[in-house]
Amino acid sequence: MSILLVQQSAPYGNSSAKEALDIALSAATFEQDISILFTGDACYQLMANQNSEKIDQKNISQMLKALPIYGIEEMYVDEDCLRKRQITHLTDSSSIKKLSKTDIKKMYQSADTVIRL
Amino acid sequence: MNISILVLSAPYSSQGAYSAYRYTQAALKSGIKVHRVFFYQDGVHAGANLATPPQDEFNLYTAWQDLKLEYELDLVVCIAAAARRGLINAAEAKRHNKQHSNLANGFELSGLGQLVEACALSDRLVTFGY
Repeated sequence: MSILLVQQSAPYGNSSAKEALDIALSAATFEQDISILFTGDACYQLMANQNSEKIDQKNISQMLKALPIYGIEEMYVDEDCLRKRQITHLTDSSSIKKLSKTDIKKMYQSADTVIRL
Repeated sequence: MNISILVLSAPYSSQGAYSAYRYTQAALKSGIKVHRVFFYQDGVHAGANLATPPQDEFNLYTAWQDLKLEYELDLVVCIAAAARRGLINAAEAKRHNKQHSNLANGFELSGLGQLVEACALSDRLVTFGY
């Protein structure tokens, strides 16, 4: 059973980034095969040097960095979305792979369940 | 065929909350088994028992409850998402030392494990977003 969790929201404007992360952690707890794809404004979640404590929020990029500890190794980002937003400095998690639209299509096709937040 | 439904949008704020209900109802009427309806993010407000829409409007809250009674639906509200948004049952009210609870009958508070389980045990998960 594989779950593809597709994130579309920027980190702090709404609760989606945080609540998507909770789904990922829960799936990992139940030993499900989970991959996370960052697309659209969700690319901003991966930016380095987030100072979210200034708006009383937990740092999403730090939480993402910790995911491999919980067994979540499969993290991907839509390279087109990164380029369009001119995001070059990603958080130093080397486990996030850049994917083309063709690769992303294949991911959608191979997943048993897709959850988009 | 066995499906589960994920509702992310709040009643009346977004079409998604109503569409989720209509879709679930249509699926059940056509004989499709609905393993679970899971309410997450702003979707948790579907379980609010203090909501009182005007009498000349469709009541989405009681509609879910009626659907549950008719088909023995499993209506699960994410406990963490609900608590953040001010929706708790009697047990949570006691645990957090609150005087009141406001989760409607027919809805159950539980964890995200119920969503993960629904993904694993259903042929399809259908999400209703914003």
